[in-house]
Amino acid sequence: MKLVIVDYGMGNLKSVTSAIRYLGYNDILLSNDFSVLKGADKLILPGVGNYAMAMNRINELDLASCIRKLVLDEEKPILGICLGMQLMGHSSTESGFNLGLGLIDGVVEEFASKDLKIPHVGYNQVKPHAGSRLYSGIHPEPDYYFTHSFRMCSNSDIGQTACYYGEEFVASFEINNIAGVQFHPELSQTNGLQLLKNFLELF
Amino acid sequence: MLRKRLIFGLIYNNGGFMQSRNFRLQRVGDINWLEKNYKFQKISFSLDELLVIDATKGTKDIEKFSSLVSRLVEDVFIPVAAGGGIRKIEDAELLFNSGADKVVLNSPLYNDPELATEIINRFGSQSLVASVDYKVIDGIPVVHINDGTTAIPISLEDYLQHLEQLEVGEIIFNSIDKDGTGFGYDIDNIEKYAKAVNMPFIIMGGAGNEHHLSSGLSIDEVSGVATANLFNFIGNGLPNARSFMLEHGANLARWE
Repeated sequence: MKLVIVDYGMGNLKSVTSAIRYLGYNDILLSNDFSVLKGADKLILPGVGNYAMAMNRINELDLASCIRKLVLDEEKPILGICLGMQLMGHSSTESGFNLGLGLIDGVVEEFASKDLKIPHVGYNQVKPHAGSRLYSGIHPEPDYYFTHSFRMCSNSDIGQTACYYGEEFVASFEINNIAGVQFHPELSQTNGLQLLKNFLELF
Repeated sequence: MLRKRLIFGLIYNNGGFMQSRNFRLQRVGDINWLEKNYKFQKISFSLDELLVIDATKGTKDIEKFSSLVSRLVEDVFIPVAAGGGIRKIEDAELLFNSGADKVVLNSPLYNDPELATEIINRFGSQSLVASVDYKVIDGIPVVHINDGTTAIPISLEDYLQHLEQLEVGEIIFNSIDKDGTGFGYDIDNIEKYAKAVNMPFIIMGGAGNEHHLSSGLSIDEVSGVATANLFNFIGNGLPNARSFMLEHGANLARWE
């Protein structure tokens, strides 16, 4: 299986790559080149940092329409991680209003409660919905590592799994070939390794 | 429910790993010693986070330190925070590229806060951990920078506010007096200052056994307990401590 990690210059790609290698998948490329992305069996969209800056980079690299085409028209499986997951939604209000890739119906905003310690950092439990592919074979309320200041909400059914931190927000979504996780599976021990394996095998 | 964290710290100095006591360093062994006695890839399944600090006095070699971080994080699937000697954004970038998920700043938070802002703007608040070392002098906790050698003329309260305004992601609150003693955390000051900031608060300095870790974790505002005591947790010390804590109801993540 050819796996391409979309490299638009934001975040730590080393841990994602080494987690996937650990699972026995060695055909991994880091790239932002359309033809390389097109040749992939599966895509991973990672990312850490600022939403506005990330979209700027993606637009500078002319990647937005390319990703939309591969994911929406060609139905190539994709997994967004952390900021990468947020970018897959409609928009974010981090550093002003910015449009995202618009692959799924979700908007990213600050946590509503003002009493919370922000960023939301650490392991937190999620409640996978019935029939989830991502959490197949994983404990019913598994712990995953979160580190973020903004969170996604959605009014649509995007196969969301909730996490609670002062309020419920989207910890992950999975709809057809599109999946995203707010947390870092590559930093979530056995629970995370199994989830990555599920994406690679079940999507 | 948001879990609390058990964090293991490694103090690095000029090629070796150290046991620190009141910030005086004693060499324990090199990375081969560490891999033999701690088997990180295995031990990491009992931890929630790894903290790696370059405490070399004087000039620190960030490139050498980064390559060590890179070797340590291989097949370790928990967050890694690394720091010591970061003086410019490129140093932070080098550590991120070597597999660090967060970087730790100490002295620059006081004498070059713009570096903190630059790191936050580029990598986000969550990527920056503020290390605060303090020593109690005449009953008052005083923040020290430059590897614990220099007192700063700002009260601890004001300094914590300064860090909150900088929007750092978390604080590691480290008692120089308790460091390496194994006598337990500085509970009184922790209880007083953990509630002073609205961000994750990690405590360090003094844990010598699983009871100390448990009692630190039981303080409401404490988000995580760290130990860098290489002697006290050798072999299966950390997995055993975690099992003990979970059996006693600690709010830690559970791995299948």
